[in-house]
Amino acid sequence: MDARLRRVNKEIADCKNDKTSNITLDLVDNSPFHLKGSFPGPEDTPYQGGIFEVDILIPDAYPFQPVKMKFTTKVYHPNVSSASGAICLDILKDAWSPVLTLKSTLISLQSLLCSPEPNDPQDAEVAKHYTTSKGSFEETARYWTHIYAGGPGTKQSKGSAGRDEVAIAGLEQAHVDQFESLGFPRNKVIDVLRRLNYRGANVAQIPEDRIVEELLKV
Amino acid sequence: MIPMNSEPDVPLRDPPSQSGEEEGPSAAEQAKAIEQPPPQPVEITADTNLSELSAAQMYELNQAHETADVHRPLIAEIAPIAELRAEYENGSTLFVQQIDNLESQGYSSIRRTRAVAFAYVEQVLKSSDPPLAVATTLSTLEGTPALLETVGYQNLVFDDFYSVLVQLVRNVTIPDELGNKLTNQTLLEAFQSPAESNSIVVYMRMLTSAQMQLNAENFAPFLFHPELGEPMEVKEFCENFVDAIGKEADHVQMTALSQILRIDISVAYLDGRSEQLDFVKFSPEETTSSSPIVLLYRPGHYDILEGSYS
Repeated sequence: MDARLRRVNKEIADCKNDKTSNITLDLVDNSPFHLKGSFPGPEDTPYQGGIFEVDILIPDAYPFQPVKMKFTTKVYHPNVSSASGAICLDILKDAWSPVLTLKSTLISLQSLLCSPEPNDPQDAEVAKHYTTSKGSFEETARYWTHIYAGGPGTKQSKGSAGRDEVAIAGLEQAHVDQFESLGFPRNKVIDVLRRLNYRGANVAQIPEDRIVEELLKV
Repeated sequence: MIPMNSEPDVPLRDPPSQSGEEEGPSAAEQAKAIEQPPPQPVEITADTNLSELSAAQMYELNQAHETADVHRPLIAEIAPIAELRAEYENGSTLFVQQIDNLESQGYSSIRRTRAVAFAYVEQVLKSSDPPLAVATTLSTLEGTPALLETVGYQNLVFDDFYSVLVQLVRNVTIPDELGNKLTNQTLLEAFQSPAESNSIVVYMRMLTSAQMQLNAENFAPFLFHPELGEPMEVKEFCENFVDAIGKEADHVQMTALSQILRIDISVAYLDGRSEQLDFVKFSPEETTSSSPIVLLYRPGHYDILEGSYS
């Protein structure tokens, strides 16, 4: 058996024997080099109650090369691409070392959810949301945890069927209504307000003309 | 072999990658780059006086050197030191003088390599009493897995690396399943195989890291971030600059490795700072060496120096 396979098998067995971490590892397509990992969202964070899944690819030179990981569950977090699930974390790049394991790397992802690094973002728009209005950011992250990761409901979602595009974008319903009433399509309004980070203290900073200008551009 | 005077091509900084979200520089990095004009780009050529470079520039140069020579074999055959001299002849005369200085001390050959790991096993192989050397070496190595566990490494992380190293040392006196003992040639082949070579190098990095963490009070005062110059905690330093592959080993790491392996290491620093070439000796209190492993340091990595007697 080659050393890479032996190591991965040991890591999978170690993870199965560990009942305390709640981290799972499963084969995808019966290949030990393509795995699906999952972990619960950390407590006392907007991710609490969700289960987050991660696509894991073991490179040929593992463990001498970093494992490739990306979220397949959508996550609203400054260091995770909200579109692709790509993760900005040093140990997945140049700080990787062969002493790390799949389990310890998944635990690092779990810690990343506890402590965002908005100064080194993967998703610049999410990072701006986080830095300008943390409360609103957390509300959005909680909503994403609810609709994508099976987490508990939030204020907006109670009683409403289907997904709320305004809440997904982390915007205020009233702001979207305001510009929609000028005759712009709703999805366009959401897109522009999200890009301009029309939230919290920023609302007072951005003149309405500027938004209309942007809406006319697209 | 990469001649020294081709090295100006090695970029000091990687050009920003445009390959998309996953690999590209983060928005914050880009913003940073716009805010502060980058430091005056210093073109480093063979004539550059290395002593004029800042610590951070030296570090970057070293790291660039580490990653640049991807096509060089992991370890090469012994070569006459004149080959090394030829690489520097068009450059700084101080380097050439330092090399001549080495040669006059009897160091006539060089092996370009992952130095310590190879020299460590080679010393057992070349010993005048191989069974004793194997026994001594194994007795030191057999104590190390427990030390690694003490500092928190999981057994599943290091047991494969450990057995690769132990097998190789044992093979000096005990034939393998094909009935062959280790020879100069098979040792070289083992270190040319990325899997075996990486396993041994990583195991040595883990030993270095364990020794530093087990004796944190002795090492802590000397640990600084190589780029930022700020003091660092032992654990954090080890995770970032010892465990991780491709990070250069400095004095501190050499000290730790010589202690845990109980070997003497002597390093000649070819730095072009003076005509003299200084040897720095790493001699732990408990040593099992009969003679030191002699290395040549050049910005970027270590090679093995061989005397004319070998």
